[in-house]
Amino acid sequence: MLTIKVLGPGCANCKKVEAIARQAAETMGLQAEFIKVTDYNQITGYNIMSTPGLVINEKLVCAGRIPSPSEVTTWLVNALS
Amino acid sequence: MNITNFLLNLLQGGLGNLAAYLAAHVLLCLVPAFYIAGAMTALIPKESVTRFLGRNTPKYVSYPAAALAGSVLAVCSCTIVPLFAGIYKKGAGLGPAITFLFFAPAANILALVYTGGVIGLDLAFARLFLSLAFGIGIGLIMALIFSRSDIAHDKATDVMFAGQSNKGMRRAALAFLLILVALLLSGTLKVGLLTNSYAQLTLPIPGVDRFQDFLYRLAPYNAAKGEEGVTAQGAILIGLLAMIGLTSWKGMENIHAGFTRWTWIALGLVGLTLLTAALGIQPHAGGLDILFTGKFFGVLLALGVLGWLLRKQLSEDEQRDFLWESWRFVKQIFPLLVVGVFTVGMIRVIIRPEWIEALAGQNTLLGNLAGVIFGVFMYFPTLVEVPIAKMFLSLGMHRGPLLAYLMADPELSLQSILITATIIGRQKAWVYVFWVALFSTLAGLIYGSWIDGTSLGLLVLYLALFLAALAGVLWWANRRNQSRAVAQGVTTD
Repeated sequence: MLTIKVLGPGCANCKKVEAIARQAAETMGLQAEFIKVTDYNQITGYNIMSTPGLVINEKLVCAGRIPSPSEVTTWLVNALS
Repeated sequence: MNITNFLLNLLQGGLGNLAAYLAAHVLLCLVPAFYIAGAMTALIPKESVTRFLGRNTPKYVSYPAAALAGSVLAVCSCTIVPLFAGIYKKGAGLGPAITFLFFAPAANILALVYTGGVIGLDLAFARLFLSLAFGIGIGLIMALIFSRSDIAHDKATDVMFAGQSNKGMRRAALAFLLILVALLLSGTLKVGLLTNSYAQLTLPIPGVDRFQDFLYRLAPYNAAKGEEGVTAQGAILIGLLAMIGLTSWKGMENIHAGFTRWTWIALGLVGLTLLTAALGIQPHAGGLDILFTGKFFGVLLALGVLGWLLRKQLSEDEQRDFLWESWRFVKQIFPLLVVGVFTVGMIRVIIRPEWIEALAGQNTLLGNLAGVIFGVFMYFPTLVEVPIAKMFLSLGMHRGPLLAYLMADPELSLQSILITATIIGRQKAWVYVFWVALFSTLAGLIYGSWIDGTSLGLLVLYLALFLAALAGVLWWANRRNQSRAVAQGVTTD
């Protein structure tokens, strides 16, 4: 099962990323554990400059912007293989 | 005074204030400002500035770069805080991080434009320059006070900032941003070329003047209180804004799934609103006079170029990110602004000018301190500090304490202090609060003296002497720290 972390304090952008990620996982019929990381000390541990950030299985795939659903799908597929 | 009359007065006060803030001249500066902020967030790659914030960058580069980052990279706290944490922990250190943290809320584009449009250009420039001077000053001071702990956390090697390549802005994106600024300027500059009207059209709509009178009875025009009343133009604009809200909700909220018809309708309405705001509209007995001012043509031209750039020159990602970021700012800030402005209008009815004049009517130390303390303890959402400042101004507050309030309020909400404390620790956070309060008071005093007529040269001299004294103390403290560190066997930079 994939572990998907959404990095961000809960602002509109982070919520959007989480929504898109959940949507993509659902469309693929994927089982995934979603974790919201809101503590800034943990967030900077992933080397991102601005939230939101998306981490799949401890790999940072997206930082500082909102990905499109198709991009997230590609990353999920890559993470599975 | 009976309770119904009182409540009615409150309501009228709120509505009147709201109408003033949705008036044509405010919209012409606020609406472009939201899009400029959106463009900066979406189109300026962070690496272009943050590569100057690496650990080993010399101070004369990292501090100005931190200020630049604060002005163009960050408008909302979700960008400010992670970047602040990153610069502090993995980049240039506490000093530039603090400069960034100070400068971003104090002098970001939305705040400056709104201050300039609502209160006056003088205050916006004062806010900008004094924020710059004091932002760098506070950064240097904090770095010196806490130099020992700064050195200690230096150990972890990390090239997150310095190792970035220069991913500059694409020409089309830069042009887009600059034309947005041109749009703002053509709508707001008080220059004869733009404010004169060049053509006139009269629409024979009967009864418009009666509509105008009705509006004036709803929200009366009261120059003494700074209430502008609702004009027919204002009412039309409010209607348009409501439509923009509705269509944007349909067209922008899910823009990551794709552009829809509603997206373009919403954008069209924004353009229409700006054009309507740029016209001169005068109702009279026979109909409606529409004056085609210079700014109308300027706005029209800018909108045309922007539309072309948006559709033909920006990539789809850029279009989407730009529209989303602008909409996000509107969603986040505009409702709070409306509520805040309405509330300020109501409070305005209750507060007596005598109280304000007694406390902050003159450019005294107490007055400036009062402005700062009020800013610290009262939390207002972004941009709402501007209408509040305007209210104080109309109640008799001197411009000096006003600037002190304007600088302290965005910096020092309890929430932001708490978040800062989680990153740099409570001790450093409260020391930061102290210095911000001190410098805001000082900024107010300086600006207030200038308004009162003290010559600019004298003030620059005072400021220079103060900064020189500060620099001297800091240099001496630095020398003392270094010799202490050497004595203790700790290597320093």
